[in-house]
Amino acid sequence: MFVKQTLLAATVALAVPAALHAQTQTLDNISRVYRTAIEPVYAGNEVKGYVTYTKGDKADKKNDNFLLDFYDQDLNKVSNITLQKPAGKYFLLRNAFNGSAFAMYYYNSKEKTLELETYDTSLKKLGFKAIGDLNRGDMMATQQSFMTQGNDGEGGGGLMGGMTLFPVPNFGFVRNSYEGMMKGYNLQMYDDKLTPRWRLSSDPKSKFYETVSLTQAVDKYILATVLRRDGMMSKKINAFMVAIESATGKKVFDVPVETTNTEQLSLSSFTFDPVKREFVAVGEFYKLNDKPFVNKSQGFFIKRFSEAGKPVAVKNYGWHNEVAALMPAEARPSQEDGFVNYTQSIVRGSNGKTYIVAEQYKVVGDGLGIALTALGGGASVSKGKIANMLVFALDPDYKLTDIKFYPKDPSVAYVPPGAGLMGTGLLGMYFRQSGQFDYQFTQKNDANSQFNVVYINYDKEKGEATKKVIGNVAFGDNGQFKVDKIDGTSNATASFLYPAKPGYVMLVDYLKKEKKMGMKLVKLNI
Amino acid sequence: MRLFILLALVGGMLATPALAQQAPYLPYYSPDTVRVHEMAVAHRAAVQKYLVTPKSVSGEYKDHYKRIAQEACADVYNTVRYSALVDPVLNPYAQRVFEQIRKANPQLPAVQLVLSRNPEPNAHAVGNSTVMLNVGLLARLENESQLAYVLCHELAHIQYGHMERGLREQLTKIHSKQVRKEVKRIVADEYNISSKLKALALGLSLNSTFHHRKYEKQADSLGYALLRRTSFDPKQAYRVLQLLDKIDQPLSPEPLPLGQTFGCATSPYPLPEAPAKSKSIFTVAAPVQTVLETTDTLKSHPDCAKRMRYLSELAHGEIADAPAAPAPEFARIVAMSRLESVQSWFDYDCYDHALFEALQLLREEPQNAYLRSVVTLSLYELREHLLKHDFYEVVGNVSKHHPENFNQLLTTLYAWKADDYKGLLACFAQNGSPAAPTNEYALAANYAASALAGEPGAATLKQQYLANYHDGKFAKLLFPKPAAPTKKSIH
Repeated sequence: MFVKQTLLAATVALAVPAALHAQTQTLDNISRVYRTAIEPVYAGNEVKGYVTYTKGDKADKKNDNFLLDFYDQDLNKVSNITLQKPAGKYFLLRNAFNGSAFAMYYYNSKEKTLELETYDTSLKKLGFKAIGDLNRGDMMATQQSFMTQGNDGEGGGGLMGGMTLFPVPNFGFVRNSYEGMMKGYNLQMYDDKLTPRWRLSSDPKSKFYETVSLTQAVDKYILATVLRRDGMMSKKINAFMVAIESATGKKVFDVPVETTNTEQLSLSSFTFDPVKREFVAVGEFYKLNDKPFVNKSQGFFIKRFSEAGKPVAVKNYGWHNEVAALMPAEARPSQEDGFVNYTQSIVRGSNGKTYIVAEQYKVVGDGLGIALTALGGGASVSKGKIANMLVFALDPDYKLTDIKFYPKDPSVAYVPPGAGLMGTGLLGMYFRQSGQFDYQFTQKNDANSQFNVVYINYDKEKGEATKKVIGNVAFGDNGQFKVDKIDGTSNATASFLYPAKPGYVMLVDYLKKEKKMGMKLVKLNI
Repeated sequence: MRLFILLALVGGMLATPALAQQAPYLPYYSPDTVRVHEMAVAHRAAVQKYLVTPKSVSGEYKDHYKRIAQEACADVYNTVRYSALVDPVLNPYAQRVFEQIRKANPQLPAVQLVLSRNPEPNAHAVGNSTVMLNVGLLARLENESQLAYVLCHELAHIQYGHMERGLREQLTKIHSKQVRKEVKRIVADEYNISSKLKALALGLSLNSTFHHRKYEKQADSLGYALLRRTSFDPKQAYRVLQLLDKIDQPLSPEPLPLGQTFGCATSPYPLPEAPAKSKSIFTVAAPVQTVLETTDTLKSHPDCAKRMRYLSELAHGEIADAPAAPAPEFARIVAMSRLESVQSWFDYDCYDHALFEALQLLREEPQNAYLRSVVTLSLYELREHLLKHDFYEVVGNVSKHHPENFNQLLTTLYAWKADDYKGLLACFAQNGSPAAPTNEYALAANYAASALAGEPGAATLKQQYLANYHDGKFAKLLFPKPAAPTKKSIH
């Protein structure tokens, strides 16, 4: 041959097409894959890369090598970090990026410590902190974090508890922890070097059990939902909207949602509108004496508050009034069938429009569950049914202007025993956190001008043989609603779906026999 | 009467080449695969015969050797079967030059030349009886003497038995007591096995690279000697290396005139809403390069400067080191090879490269109907892959290893949306003269443009194509049968 090794050249000759293409990565020698093996890295709204966490070989008698591999948004490998940590006992709980630093949040089960490590954008280590003396609540929540692991850019924890690390641009990271057996919460803010900045704790004198879920860092605030219960086992939970000043940790807003004099409100989402400088709560409302699930919700509401915490306006959008006029005909049967809407995300476009993304669900009696209960078992008498997607568009004055309906096959969700006492929104939150909705995530670009809602549609009742479709609903400042459907069927042992840079989603196929994991960026036609 | 027929025949024979020269060249295609299959089988058999497992070596060595030999046999079969170019012009031309070299060097073993469709500018020798010449290299040469030197160099590899020697040297090293002891030690160590084995493998790889560079020097030297025995110009050997040193650069570094090509009054260019490529959040410095990496290892033809110095010494300074205008016959060979390369990129599903090369060549020949067909077909396929959501399979990433103008095209391709293609193709058609569907390529392109525009005439063009070219090269691509459904779900 003319220049290179003969055998190699023959191989290269055949490999020409494959070798030239990227926006893909294939990793070899992968013996097991979990969804959480890959985590997207967010900077603001956009996915700017991925980090994979894998166990390597033994480092010494007591430690293993753990590998963090970083990829950019185009799946180019950036760099890797090798950590030498206790063998088989070191788990990555979360990664977070706040625009200036990466933070890795681990659980060291040998030392029973939570460990934080931060790196700058060149992946130079900035700080390390080990947190010991974990109480039972923290331990339970840490275990829970394995179940709910995943960065969706929209916070974590909440009802089920969990250990989260919340990135706050220009400030650092907030770590949550628990008081005793989850009686209360603590929030600890660190700067990029993990120097403590402030700490916020629930009132130790409070008669309630309180958990906090950080949802959004926007403007100068960190937004959170606080759930308060009478006792640890109480299933009657009330949600409160909370805003915390990022710089000081001062709680500037703490307002209940679910009680008014005229109706029951169920909170789905709480955001801040930096243009109008208002806090905005969205959820559904019920008649005052109605029972969630038995009675239908009456519509959805938008409640706005000033920065000082004063109510500015509350507007109800009744299913039979404001909404009915705009509801597409094809959406009506499901509405009549008792399906209610869980608000999956609320986004505000740079043109001032607000979009509410909802997924329909309802609770139906489960014959087997009822029978088991009658026999003295603790099974749930209900099961959930997940149905279609809806997008509500509101103009800058919160006037409902458009409703889009995206039908999909129904799927079944598990309802925990006693869920009837929860508000609709809370049960929806349970479905969300237990991964039972078909909705996956909403992607936004940094300009807030283009949004993409991603969901999976397949008939879970019919089993694996059904066709799987990854649905994408795109909308934004151009005023158009577009749907793009990806055929998600594949021959892989397992496939996973992840957020990606604007205009893309990432699909990961794992081939067990070949021990290969393929990551690919799929360009959307939106 | 007989005389008349004879005269007519002679006249016809004389007339055919003249006509052929005027007719625009179209890449070769034949649905008949028997000939290439037979060639592939013969070359596989030759490699099988050549790579005989050594006797007085360890069992592991033998197994390893057998495995590599099997892979080499499969590779040579696949390469010949799926990429041999047996067209009536380029292949005979290359074979004639090859034969001239062999006649001038009767001591050489019986070797056969395979002209490959591979668009990468390269050539290589396999076993002791096959030289592979990529049409992509033929497209970048300047004259016949340069082609002769390329072939002499490959023949020199065969004369020296470099494939077998390289393999044995490498396996001897890998299975040496010293390396085995080292592997055992690493495994017994238990700790950091992966990084230690990687370091060992890197050492072996560097050792192999060193040996192969030594082989290149030997092949340059013997190749030069073989060339000198022919009537070709030995001064061109140096010029070949000079060309190879810069061969990763595109024909022209100028940005492609995309606006001029794909923009028009009805669909102005650039397209609105094309998002700027977002920057990486990572500021990780590139790793410090090793001594080996700071040389030109990553180039497709490394070490050329060193080899040029060596060859210059060998030729006592009798070298050609400047471009020379090619003779008309060779210029035509180069032109045809370029078109074959464009088609190969397309056939490999590398539509980004096919489009890039076609647009580059269209600068020189703006109305070349074949190149215009490739542009149309590439756009059609790019859109099809967008709709099928496997665009990532046919368009590469922007990379610092690519020429700037190719990266610009890639960035543009990522920005174009499926809806944009109709306007782009309409403007492209407006900006050039439409190709009459007088050949398969033009007919396929006409169908693609019509189908993409959603015109009702597409169905007629499809029927016309399938009627005229039932086994045509685009039949499966443009009119695929629906695939059987698969299983499994996304989590």
